[in-house]
Amino acid sequence: MNTPSRTPLSSLSRRHLLGLAGLAGGLGLTACSSGSSGSGDPNTFDFWSFTGINQKDDVAAYKKLAPDVNVKLTEVGNAQETAQGLTTALAGGKVPDLVLIQAGDLPKFMKNPGNFTDLKTLGADDVQSEYVDWVMKQATAQSGEIIGIPTDVGGMGVAYRTDLMAAAGLPTNRDEVSALWPTWDDFIATGQRYTQASGKAFIDNAATTVFLQAVSQGEEQYYSADGKVVYATNPIVKQSFDLGLKAIAAGITAKLESFTDGWNAGMAKGDFAAVAAPSWMLGSIRSAAPDTEGKWDIATIPGGSGNWGGSYLAIPARAANPKAAWTYISRMQSPEQQLQHFIESGSLPTTPVNYDKPELVDHTDPFFSDAPTGKIFTQAVLGLKPFVNGEYNTEISTELLNGLNGVEGDGAPAAAAWDTAVKNIKTAIGA
Amino acid sequence: MSATLTPGSLRGVKPATATRPVEKRWERVAPYGYVAPFYVLFLVFGLFPLLFTFYVSLFDWNPIGDKTFVGLANFQQLAGDPRFWNALRNTFSIWIISTVPQLLIALILAQVLNSAYLRLANFYRMAMLLPYITSVAATAIVFAQLFNRDYGLLNWFLGLLGIGHIDFMSTALGSHLLISVMVIWRWFGYNTLLYLASLQAVPRDLYEAAAMDGAGPVKQFINITLPSLRPVIVFTVIMSTIGGLQIFTEPLLLSNGTLTCGTARQCQTLSLFLFEQGFGSFKFGYGSAVGVALFAIIVVVAFINFLLSSRLGKKA
Repeated sequence: MNTPSRTPLSSLSRRHLLGLAGLAGGLGLTACSSGSSGSGDPNTFDFWSFTGINQKDDVAAYKKLAPDVNVKLTEVGNAQETAQGLTTALAGGKVPDLVLIQAGDLPKFMKNPGNFTDLKTLGADDVQSEYVDWVMKQATAQSGEIIGIPTDVGGMGVAYRTDLMAAAGLPTNRDEVSALWPTWDDFIATGQRYTQASGKAFIDNAATTVFLQAVSQGEEQYYSADGKVVYATNPIVKQSFDLGLKAIAAGITAKLESFTDGWNAGMAKGDFAAVAAPSWMLGSIRSAAPDTEGKWDIATIPGGSGNWGGSYLAIPARAANPKAAWTYISRMQSPEQQLQHFIESGSLPTTPVNYDKPELVDHTDPFFSDAPTGKIFTQAVLGLKPFVNGEYNTEISTELLNGLNGVEGDGAPAAAAWDTAVKNIKTAIGA
Repeated sequence: MSATLTPGSLRGVKPATATRPVEKRWERVAPYGYVAPFYVLFLVFGLFPLLFTFYVSLFDWNPIGDKTFVGLANFQQLAGDPRFWNALRNTFSIWIISTVPQLLIALILAQVLNSAYLRLANFYRMAMLLPYITSVAATAIVFAQLFNRDYGLLNWFLGLLGIGHIDFMSTALGSHLLISVMVIWRWFGYNTLLYLASLQAVPRDLYEAAAMDGAGPVKQFINITLPSLRPVIVFTVIMSTIGGLQIFTEPLLLSNGTLTCGTARQCQTLSLFLFEQGFGSFKFGYGSAVGVALFAIIVVVAFINFLLSSRLGKKA
């Protein structure tokens, strides 16, 4: 149930750009007539999802549970395009009854909760305690409405190449490797050992493998608990940024931005030995470097916990058939169904009751040397605390990532990077 | 039915006057009906969005939230926004680097293709159009791979020559050059064919007469070719101005889909900035203000170009 949660401003994959390119001249921001999905049939509802996460399987499974319900599934595009489509629809078009929103796109919608049905009115109060608290909190508005139910999370680990580690004289066993880096400083030190021994880069890039993960471990990130913008003064943001700069200065990065062609090629060629890997990244590694089967393993992330990505199901306020949509959510996202879904697709449940079930704990992945992926990734999720997201999460994170990528790839001066990034954020969001 | 009819003329022509005015009115109205489809579409998809953009630019307009009238505040903010001036600089830089060589190449190629001695002339003329009919996305993928920092063909070749790899997209100049090369590649054939068509309409005897009077190829070019091509040159310059200043797809695709086009916005054009603000940050009002500014800039630049290029070769 996962696709890479990439910030909408910074990256879209090439094949999705064909569609984007069509909008090139698009400033026709017309407010169309309002209307909702017309059919009054209580057993039919519209469901918008994005590509690459195989919601068809879920819908087919639901058909078995509720044979008389007709789910009209539309895969609008990739996650960002689906969010843009939803924006247009909410602004004054035909809205779906149910929509899947990626975690990275959620804060923009949370700013105006009135666009969505408060799921509390449909019974979310009774089930919200079944989900991981901080994941649930991200879909809870400041004013208390519950906008979405989390379908999956992107618990973090570090995927590493056992053969490359061995060649550099480092341990290969996942417990020993995890023990090498209890902290991010240890992680960078290990990288230096690897780079000295092999002459090659240790990680793909500092921005996503170090900074993004380190900052996600903060109890407070870009916004304070009461919703104020605090990225500039929050020590964890600055510390994480400095860790990124330290990794760059240590020369352990391959200067390959995530999800680019060079990144894919570098993965296949073994140009770097480790990459921060949320659960959904395993699929990207598998497809980018199919010849490396069995040469990977997964260790815990420095700091022990982390999340990157995940998705939510939400019901627009103008939905014609919110009840049918809610029935779908409550049945398909129940702990039992989420466990079933994990067994079939590997996407991580958001329901902690599953985290010690044998089906999850004993699940292993042969591509990654039979690593117990379910166990490693869910432990990383449990370690996180509830934190507050805000309207401008994407803008803030984009500028900070740009700052680090600029130093790493484009030769921007490291000493000025933080101040430049903060200045750029101030320009972008005015705070 | 006309009031100017004299009573005398009324007799005998009555049947005709009963039907003719209706026909006449229909004949007067019909042409509007014939051209209506275009103008209706233009109204819906051209004029209305344009005017609506002007309207939206006066608001702090969140598509799914509040819409507050702010007057000219968006434009005020735009004037003080370093990202806008950066995008403006990039747009002009890419436009000039791509348009000037492109039109010169097209002019020279058109001369060559017009040569009477060229064999397989039709084949070469058609081949010119190939880049133009190839999808931008396909072209961008090929260019991105050719110019890739680590695994690109060009850098592999440079590596063989002992020159270090160049990361084109990482610097302003490099990225502008790469984008321009792609634009030139895509559009030079189109402009060549326009020039060629115009060249073929120039009477041969003008050249023959000039040759008799002792004018060399250069003199012929300046005194005959350029003045004859003036209308089409004006057209291509204006079209390239409009297209070049709106450039969007090439920088977006070459920078792997980042709306900022690079970590320091080194190749972000005005259209990309507009899109980033409107659809990335949901600031439709501010995005529209960028659109209005872009519109004004294109009108001014196209007008200046019109004045300059229509003076081309006038002294002849």
